[in-house]
Amino acid sequence: MMDALYALFSILVYPGLLFISILGLIYEWVDRKAVARFQNRIGPFYTGPRGFLQPLADFIKLMAKEDITPAWADKILFGAAPLFALVIPTFATLYIPFAGKPVLPPFEGDLVLIISLTTFFTITAFVAGWSSTNRFSTIGAVRAGLQLLGFEIPMFIAVASVAMSAGSLCITTIAESQVVEVQIAGATYKVLLPYALLQPLGFAVYLIALQAELERVPFDIPEAESEIVAGWLTEFSGKKLAFLRLSSDVRLVLGAALATAIFLGGGSGPLLPPIIWFLIKATIIVIISAMLRAMFARIRIDQMVRGAWKYLIPLSLVQLILTKTLLVVK
Amino acid sequence: MPVYKLPIGPQHPAIKEAFHFTFDLDGEVVVDVKPRLGNVHRGIEKGMEFRTWVQGIFLVERICGICNTPHTTCYALTVEELYGVEAPPRAQYIRTIINELNRIHSHLLWVGILGMELGFWSYFMYVWRDRERVMDVVEMITGNRVTTSAIIIGGVAYDITPEMEGPIRRAMDYLEERTKFYKKVLETDPTIRARTQNVGVLPKSVAIDLCAVGPTARGSNVKSDVRFEEPYCAYGEVPFNLVTYDTCDVWARAMVRIDEVLESINIIRECLDKMPNGPIRLRLPRAPPPGEAMNRVEAPRGELLHYCKSDGKEYPYRFKARTPTLANIPALCEMLKGYYIADIPAIVASIDPCYCCTERLIFRDVNSGKVWAWTYDELRRYSLKWFKSNGGRRK
Repeated sequence: MMDALYALFSILVYPGLLFISILGLIYEWVDRKAVARFQNRIGPFYTGPRGFLQPLADFIKLMAKEDITPAWADKILFGAAPLFALVIPTFATLYIPFAGKPVLPPFEGDLVLIISLTTFFTITAFVAGWSSTNRFSTIGAVRAGLQLLGFEIPMFIAVASVAMSAGSLCITTIAESQVVEVQIAGATYKVLLPYALLQPLGFAVYLIALQAELERVPFDIPEAESEIVAGWLTEFSGKKLAFLRLSSDVRLVLGAALATAIFLGGGSGPLLPPIIWFLIKATIIVIISAMLRAMFARIRIDQMVRGAWKYLIPLSLVQLILTKTLLVVK
Repeated sequence: MPVYKLPIGPQHPAIKEAFHFTFDLDGEVVVDVKPRLGNVHRGIEKGMEFRTWVQGIFLVERICGICNTPHTTCYALTVEELYGVEAPPRAQYIRTIINELNRIHSHLLWVGILGMELGFWSYFMYVWRDRERVMDVVEMITGNRVTTSAIIIGGVAYDITPEMEGPIRRAMDYLEERTKFYKKVLETDPTIRARTQNVGVLPKSVAIDLCAVGPTARGSNVKSDVRFEEPYCAYGEVPFNLVTYDTCDVWARAMVRIDEVLESINIIRECLDKMPNGPIRLRLPRAPPPGEAMNRVEAPRGELLHYCKSDGKEYPYRFKARTPTLANIPALCEMLKGYYIADIPAIVASIDPCYCCTERLIFRDVNSGKVWAWTYDELRRYSLKWFKSNGGRRK
């Protein structure tokens, strides 16, 4: 009975759905605040201490707003898309070992599951844009699909080279495999040797591809504001938009947490409990992402896909070959 | 993929003003574009006929919020021509300084907008933060940040006192340093270059054929600048360079504007050095003698033209303005063809459009909702008929 209650608690509250949603809102605040500082602004300031509650206030405000479905939209798909957009990344996040082990039991291959779920998300975005039948949405939807061709493969290869050197496709195992035992003067020490240091090229490729997956500058092409209003999000309003906004927060959590688990050694670290270490590392990833967001102009879809195939994929392949060679030499 | 239509405007995040384009698209590529003006027609030219010559200044500077000073300068020069007088030399120098401050503020505003259109929000935020410095200087001189009403018929309303010189020079030093930095960003940032170079190309011959003006023309290597061709105010007495670039793309237009900011800073310094002493305004009678006059001024967006006709009364008989954006729209339509949807904001922004100054004439039948345009002849015939049937212009 207690086990069942505990399982329910862990799925619904910590480190499950509620935790992920709140973390998403917090990371949105961190992201907004960081970008504001990079841009010489103050960012959210009035709601809560230092504007901490602003994302929550935005969410509540959107939930209370009028929800309009365009007359020509495909009603079922249009209504379902925001739900799928929220559920897919949330489900994927349940496999991330926030505090040592994930909510859902890890299995050999959950890394592949998560990566394929991110692909599913893009398909949801495409369906959302396509079903709204707005010109801007349609263009945004097509761009989302095209962008997938650019970022998905290098991301896959970067993650694959990590999985190869860890010898596992299970995220939890990969995270744990980054703690190595070193013997110095007879004593054995446990040292964290993250893959970010061992495979810097793969880590960089992952971060850039993450920017594209999250549809952030310089790859916010599917929702490019000054070109196509809000891209595939244009027709969404009220609760649906609130869900889509929350979904993008959860995707930020997922992207940062996955990077933390497979490239930065998850929650391992001295003194502090694993969850704290995990959150510190994930926050660093969020701030790096915010920095990239503040540093560039948006590039064009053709430039994005061409750049991904010209630079990102060769770089990730170089990383893969290097890793394989080192493994063979060992 | 068949050609389909994408309506952009009157409400669209890329274009802050009400303007409508219909794009014919083949996939993501623009095949054809049809602009439609007339959403913010305000009847200013007619309104001028119901105001005295002095009141006209305050209406004329509201033709365009951003480049208001060139409008008042042009109007003041034109009306002074009707009077047959010239403003005192000190007023000419102060006019030059205020015009150049306005150019700096307008160009920096535009460079920030370019960053915004490209999704480069940091650039926008930084440039606009430094633009505040120009506005502070303008506020110090005239008491207002943007719409200053500083230039009046026969001179200027505000003097630049010796105490103001120090702060102006300090602000210019600061702006010069920052503008050089922004120029470096434009020159070196890979994403900005990828989005602006070889985009929206307007070859020199086409620019001349379509009568492009201002930075749009100078970005296509056309040496056209009223300040050189027909120096007004103190422009004939201070040395400065005419900036042109020969790459003919959006990037060239951006570089022209950034370089012009640097030139403006130098012009302001020169003016402060050479400023003569004396009165700053003339006292003139209420109405100019009958006659007509026309004047050109180089506004931040290009050549601006004002025409005034007086019949000796205290109201203008006719007032006409031709703003630079209107002159650049044919060139804009040519620039857009063959580029991607993603390039539209950058190209449209590259002429620094200001639609509210452009919109002058549109016919709309309120009952049927029909909208049409007239040729000059039709308009002339209509106006003659109207004059005959009403027996005059004002009842």
